[in-house]
Amino acid sequence: PGGVVVPRAGLKKYVLPPDYSGIIFPERTKLKFMDKVPAVPKVRREPRRLRDIRGPSQVATDFTQGQYGIMALGGGYLHWGHFEMIRLTIGRSMDPKTMFAIWRVPAPYKPVTRKSLGHRMGGGKGPIDHYVTAVKSGCLVVEVGGRCEFGEVKPFLTQVARKLPFPAVAVSRDGLRQMRQEEEEKKLNNQNPWTFERVVTANMLGMRKYLSPYDLRLKGRYWGKFFLKHRV
Amino acid sequence: MAALSGGGGAPWRRGWLPALQFVRRGSKAVTRHWKAMHFQRQKLMAVTEYVAPRPAVPPRCLAPRKETREEDNGYVRLLRRQVEEVFRNNRLIAVCQYNSMPGEDVVLMRHYLRKHNIEVKFVLNEIVRPVLSQSKYKNLLPLFVARNILLVSREAKVKEMLRVLKGVPQINLLGACIDDTILSRKGVENFAKLPSLEASQGQTVGALALLPSQTSSLLQRGSAHLTALLDQHIRRLQAGETGSPAEPGPAQSSGAH
Repeated sequence: PGGVVVPRAGLKKYVLPPDYSGIIFPERTKLKFMDKVPAVPKVRREPRRLRDIRGPSQVATDFTQGQYGIMALGGGYLHWGHFEMIRLTIGRSMDPKTMFAIWRVPAPYKPVTRKSLGHRMGGGKGPIDHYVTAVKSGCLVVEVGGRCEFGEVKPFLTQVARKLPFPAVAVSRDGLRQMRQEEEEKKLNNQNPWTFERVVTANMLGMRKYLSPYDLRLKGRYWGKFFLKHRV
Repeated sequence: MAALSGGGGAPWRRGWLPALQFVRRGSKAVTRHWKAMHFQRQKLMAVTEYVAPRPAVPPRCLAPRKETREEDNGYVRLLRRQVEEVFRNNRLIAVCQYNSMPGEDVVLMRHYLRKHNIEVKFVLNEIVRPVLSQSKYKNLLPLFVARNILLVSREAKVKEMLRVLKGVPQINLLGACIDDTILSRKGVENFAKLPSLEASQGQTVGALALLPSQTSSLLQRGSAHLTALLDQHIRRLQAGETGSPAEPGPAQSSGAH
C-alpha cells in the first residue's frame, strides 16, 4: 500500500485471568520450623554412608501440592542453618495470604560426628556434632504454590537456590516437564552411535575394569555427588 | 586396579585369595571435591558425548514457518460480523481519512450526520482487511491503510454528507461504495450533482410518456387540420360577406364531427 503507514495500536487482546480453581491451601501457609536435633536423638553413631548423596533421587521427584519449587541438581547435605535460611527467606518474601510453601525434605535425621579440633588421629569415633538431611539430585527441597505466577516466585526461589550447598534451580511444573521432555529428545536424536550405557552394558573394551558397578545404573550422568547435566 | 593372583596347585586347601583384588587407593567414590577420573574413563566420557543433529539444510536458510494465529478471540469474530452486516445493510459506505480532531468537533460532526441518518463507524484495519479480501469488495482494500472512518447510511444523501464534511477540514473523503459501485472522490462529487432519484425517475417517465401523449394529437391532427382550414375559410367568407349573420358553415362543420 502506498503512503506512509502511521503506526497505531491494534485490537486489544483481552487475556483471561489465570484459573486458580484446583488449589487447596494447607493449614499453615508458611514453612514449618525444623528441629536441629530429632525428637529422639540417636544414641548409636552411624557410619558415613555417602551413598545417600550419590545418584538420582527416588523420593520427592514430582510436585504434589504446589506449582513451583526448588530442585536440586547435585547431591549434598542440608543442615539446620540451611533450613533456617530457607524458612526465613521464603517466609519473608512470600505473601502468606495468597501463597503457601511446604517442605519436601525431612528434618535432619542423619548424625554427623566430628572430632574435637587439634587432636591426632585415633581414639575412636568422635561424638555426634550435628544432624543433616541427605539430598540427591533431582529431589525437590521446597514447594511453593497458591494464587501466584512463576514470575512472582522465581526471584526469591533463585536467591535461595544460590545459597544451597549443591547446585539448585527454581522450577515450575511446566518447566520440569519441559526439562524431562528435552532430555528424552536429546536421548533420541543423539547422533553419536556410542553411548555410555551401551559401552557399559556390553563391557566394550573391558571398560568395566575402570568403572564402578554403580555406573550401570548411573549411566555416566553422575560422578560422585555431581550431576552432569550436559551429558545424555 | 585389579591384581591377579592365584594359589599354588590346590587353593582350596591352604586358604584362597580372590581372583580379582580391588586395590584401594585414593579417595572414596563420593567426595566433596571433583574426584579425578581414570584416564580410560575420561576417554570414554569424551567418546560418548552428546552430538547434536545437524540437518543438511541449516534452518536459517529455509523460509521461516509463519504460525497462523487462530482467531479464537470471540471479540474479533464479533467485530467481523458487525463489519459484514454494515456492508450488507447499507447502501452508502464512504471511507474517509481521519486526522485527530478535538472531541467536541467529533461529536458535532456525528450529530449533523445523524440528522441525515448517516452513521459514523470507527473500525480497525486489521479486522476490515480480511473481511474485505474475502468478500466482493476487494478493490476497496487499498483505502483501508491508515486511520480511517466509515460513514454509512441506508439512503444515499451524498450532498448533505459532502456539505458537512466540507465544514470539517480534518476528515477527507477517500472513496465511497454506493449501491455496490465504487466511486472515487470526483465520482462522489459528480454523483452529488446528479438530480435525486425521484426527479430522474420523473424525468425518464416524462420522456417516455412524451411520445404516447402525442399519439392522440397525432391521430387527431388530420381532422384538426381540416377543422382549422374550414374555420379559416368560414372566417374569410364571413369577412368577405360582412353583415351576413347566418353562419351555417361552422354549424355544419361542428355537425360533421
